[in-house]
Amino acid sequence: MLDFDEELKKFKPSLDVEDIEDAVYQEDLFDVTDLLKQVMSQQTN
Amino acid sequence: MDYTKKIVRYSNYWYNDGLRKAQIRDLTGAILSLRRSLQFNKGNIAARNLLGLVYYGRGEVAEALVEWIISKNMRPRDNIANEYIQRVQDASRQLDVMNQAIKKYNQCLVLCAQGGEDMAVLQLRKVISAHPSFVKAYQLLALLYLKKEQYAKAKPLLRTAAKLDTTNEMTLRYQHELSLHKGSRPRREEKKKEKKKKTTIEYKLGNDTIIQPAYHMVKSLAGKFTLMNIVVGGLIGAAIVWYLVVPTVNEAKANRTNKQIIEYSEQINAMDAQISAMTRTLDNYRAADADSEAAAQTAASTSDSYENLMAASEQYNSGSYTSDAIADTLLNINRDVLGASGQAAYDELAGEVFSAACDTKYEAGIEALNVANYDSAIDNLSKVVRMKESYDDGGALLNLGLAYLRNGDNGNAAAYLKKVTEQFPDTEYAQEAANNLNTISQNADSDKSKDSKE
Repeated sequence: MLDFDEELKKFKPSLDVEDIEDAVYQEDLFDVTDLLKQVMSQQTN
Repeated sequence: MDYTKKIVRYSNYWYNDGLRKAQIRDLTGAILSLRRSLQFNKGNIAARNLLGLVYYGRGEVAEALVEWIISKNMRPRDNIANEYIQRVQDASRQLDVMNQAIKKYNQCLVLCAQGGEDMAVLQLRKVISAHPSFVKAYQLLALLYLKKEQYAKAKPLLRTAAKLDTTNEMTLRYQHELSLHKGSRPRREEKKKEKKKKTTIEYKLGNDTIIQPAYHMVKSLAGKFTLMNIVVGGLIGAAIVWYLVVPTVNEAKANRTNKQIIEYSEQINAMDAQISAMTRTLDNYRAADADSEAAAQTAASTSDSYENLMAASEQYNSGSYTSDAIADTLLNINRDVLGASGQAAYDELAGEVFSAACDTKYEAGIEALNVANYDSAIDNLSKVVRMKESYDDGGALLNLGLAYLRNGDNGNAAAYLKKVTEQFPDTEYAQEAANNLNTISQNADSDKSKDSKE
């Protein structure tokens, strides 16, 4: 049996067009290459 | 193999996986694969563009634009994201409709959290008709119908959501819930049949099977208690009116009120949008007006400066004007607005004239100061300061400050006296300026204490 309130919590507000600029800046662009670079720089230090 | 090549290979593997899933409209699966591809290589343009397309397919147009904009920034040329963005921008009216639908959906989430499910259902119906590919709206509306046990209405919504995104976990769970309720329906019918069976009595008499209505106490006594039946009937009728008709009427009223509230809120939103658009237009007009006024002032200043430069040049060439008079004309020029040749001509004239003019005006200023004609002193000395601030090693600045001080303008006096102490320290002029600055500050302190006492 579904729990309505719990199901409702799974719905998140959708992004609207006015928020696109903020979303672009907040997008996580960290990839595996960045991770490897970070690890290598820590090792050299 | 170089690790960068390996990373690119993994990224491409997940891109291909995402592409296969997108082709069979498994959009949730495609999003997961494409996100993984970008985690390996954020610069995989094809994966990012496809991710945007998948979001667009689920009706999440803003998310799609975010991905395409990032893609465009990473590769400005030879990128299909440019075309996607252009197409969305060209269909600005449709984009606006979709954006309004998304906003309404967000409002519906708030309404649901506050218990306004009826109103949310009405709004979500409008959202779906305005933005028919918005999967989340179908799911939320289906959930609301499931809660109200209106399974027949939930079913087509979930079917459409499943067509748009075949493996969405939420859609599949709701469909499973729906199927559970479908299964329970035949059981109810069986129970009804059993009840019907109990209303008859079957028995055998010899070879014949006799079916006889079951015995009912009420029926048997109906004839005897007619009056009681009428009373009971009346009570049942009243109960039906009270429990069935009144709530229906109330619900209809509530629905009408809800509809009115929605219409009013839409009108308010539209008016708000109009007001903000008009305010923006007004601000633009004001900004344009201010810009044109500033441009006109600059043009006027430039024109005046050139006219004065020409006049000063003519005065100088005629040989019949004193350096003092020519300097007055030159001081009306704003050197900064002149072109390079204009500035060169100005500098040449100033070099010829200012030195002698400073001597004349300084002398006149000191004389005026000594006879307490402070306006004339300020006029002459300020011109000397404008021509050469360091004239008489700070003497011009000091006397201008004193002229202001004696004329009662302590603000300007302090400014010029301070310049003397800063630019010509350890001189007699600096000492005199410092003494006068002390006097000004002491006077200001005593004025403050008087005011506070009052």
